[in-house]
Amino acid sequence: MDSLNRFKAVAADPAGYAQQWKKEKGGKVVGTFCSYAPEEVILASGALGYRIFGTDLNISRADAHMQAYSCSLVRGALEEVLAGQLDFLDGVVFPHTCDSIQRLSDIWRMNIKNGFHLDLVGPVKLNTDSAREYMTAVMDKFRQELETSLGHKISAADIESAVAVGNRIRNSMQRVYAARMEKPGILKGADLHAMVKAAMVMDRTEFAVLAEDVARHLEEMQIEDAFTGKRLVLSGGLCNMPDVYGTLEDSGGAIVADDLCTGHRFFEGNIEQEADMMAAIANRYVNRNVCPAKHAGIKNRGENLVRTAKACEADRVIFIYLKFCDPHGFDYPYLKQMLADENIPCLLYEMEERDTAEGQFRTRCEAFLEMI
Amino acid sequence: MLTVGIDVGSISAKAAVIQDGELLGGKVILTGYNARNAGKNVYDKLLADHNIDPAMVDRVVATGYGRKSVEFADKAITEITCHAAGAHFQDPSVRSVIDIGGQDSKAISLDSAGRVNDFAMNDKCAAGTGRFLEVMARALEVDLDVFGEMSLKADAPAAISSLCTVFAESEVISLLARGEKRENIIAGIHESIGSRVLAMAKRVGVAEPVMMTGGVAKNIGVVKALESRAGVVIEVSPNAQINGAIGAALLAANGP
Repeated sequence: MDSLNRFKAVAADPAGYAQQWKKEKGGKVVGTFCSYAPEEVILASGALGYRIFGTDLNISRADAHMQAYSCSLVRGALEEVLAGQLDFLDGVVFPHTCDSIQRLSDIWRMNIKNGFHLDLVGPVKLNTDSAREYMTAVMDKFRQELETSLGHKISAADIESAVAVGNRIRNSMQRVYAARMEKPGILKGADLHAMVKAAMVMDRTEFAVLAEDVARHLEEMQIEDAFTGKRLVLSGGLCNMPDVYGTLEDSGGAIVADDLCTGHRFFEGNIEQEADMMAAIANRYVNRNVCPAKHAGIKNRGENLVRTAKACEADRVIFIYLKFCDPHGFDYPYLKQMLADENIPCLLYEMEERDTAEGQFRTRCEAFLEMI
Repeated sequence: MLTVGIDVGSISAKAAVIQDGELLGGKVILTGYNARNAGKNVYDKLLADHNIDPAMVDRVVATGYGRKSVEFADKAITEITCHAAGAHFQDPSVRSVIDIGGQDSKAISLDSAGRVNDFAMNDKCAAGTGRFLEVMARALEVDLDVFGEMSLKADAPAAISSLCTVFAESEVISLLARGEKRENIIAGIHESIGSRVLAMAKRVGVAEPVMMTGGVAKNIGVVKALESRAGVVIEVSPNAQINGAIGAALLAANGP
């Protein structure tokens, strides 16, 4: 599939892609952390939203600023920028989710001089009416700050067409997820990962066209033998480790759903047409499944996870956490308990971005799937 | 039915032979640098010890971290599943297994049929493993085989970090420099392993009866430290070190 190959090429070298894009289009590139960065507003500004992941470098520069027990995402991102690998960014936006990202924002501001620097401090408690108003105000403020930083106005028409592209991407991704749920194994986990990663760094209009092609292709694809292995749900935050998927598949499983930040949460929920489009955008961020650094009810994340597992007839849940991610770590005991109450076995594996300790992970996956 | 289980661990390779549900015997050798050879060597030696013609062997299951390198095995099964099966074979009433090997420690909860309900495994770290004991034995110049007995003579176990092997080793050296008795230091080392492993075991719950397997189960000091911390009696598998291999041989007889 040519479209999928394109995604794989972009995912293998996102920085190279962004620099090429910049050269060809003459546009600006805005770095983002986490899926609370407002995609549509950045797209409406004409800039390329560029999700920053960790690093392939050995971390040494970042350790002068940050303790070793920060997660490999924040340490890796800081390493990348200090090493000059992100010099092509024209600015960065830090949504305030976990403490580590917030502190990274401060360290970044004090040490990285090129490009603009925006913080997006949204509400933490999202299941209230005031949260909607607050989120709308935050989106408005972000829009103004982005206009100032980029030096041009973002019109209502810009916002509307950006929302249309965003919805188109989300529709395609939801179709891809549905096809995978229906026909497990139809798309390798590593390939879906490449697609998701491409969605976060590619020209969104180009992505939207190619993603529709992949969705259609998967929907039309016939499977010869029904899948007989274990149906798995992947739960966690960021998973930028394609090898993880291969190991799970080699162990006899297939991922049929996820609630990852670099996954379903990025594509969840469309934006409705409203008179106030900024409120409509804010609504999506308030309504979708929350990150553990946000709150939408004391058992909200567990209820969502159980619902997802049941809806896709999952046999097992695998939690993949970045080592030292405390928001996820704090939620784990009650999530595990809620799954146990429903007789859904689960496995937790914590890993660092560059170093998955492949042998140990393989042993755990295999043992977990050997369980009857 | 004659089956063999081969458990290629990080430090030693073990094999066990089972005929019609009865353990005929086991063998332990050092793994060395070549896991592939170790699996074959321990298999050959086991068969030679028991005068078994290789053609008599119906099935072979490999387990342990080197399980995929045993090319002649019919199947590879993880050591977690195998330790549960092995412990169940020794004592069907066992509901929890604590396995401490060379580089891994594991806590396994099992059902009445010896199947795994849940498990936890150490992270990529030597604290709470057999390797931790080896490092300490070297620092103390004490043979690992007498560690257990010596620790029982301690009057006041020293406090030693349970978090990191490298830091714990430097603590041990400081304690030696201060003139602390080796018995107390060794008892402190066992407490450190006990606390580390118990913290992990609590993630899956410690249901009684508890059996300890793996090479470290041969160390009575670690067993006692775990017992006092967990407040339970721990049964040591009579074939602790070859328990995984026994489980593999049993699963070889049952499985497809």
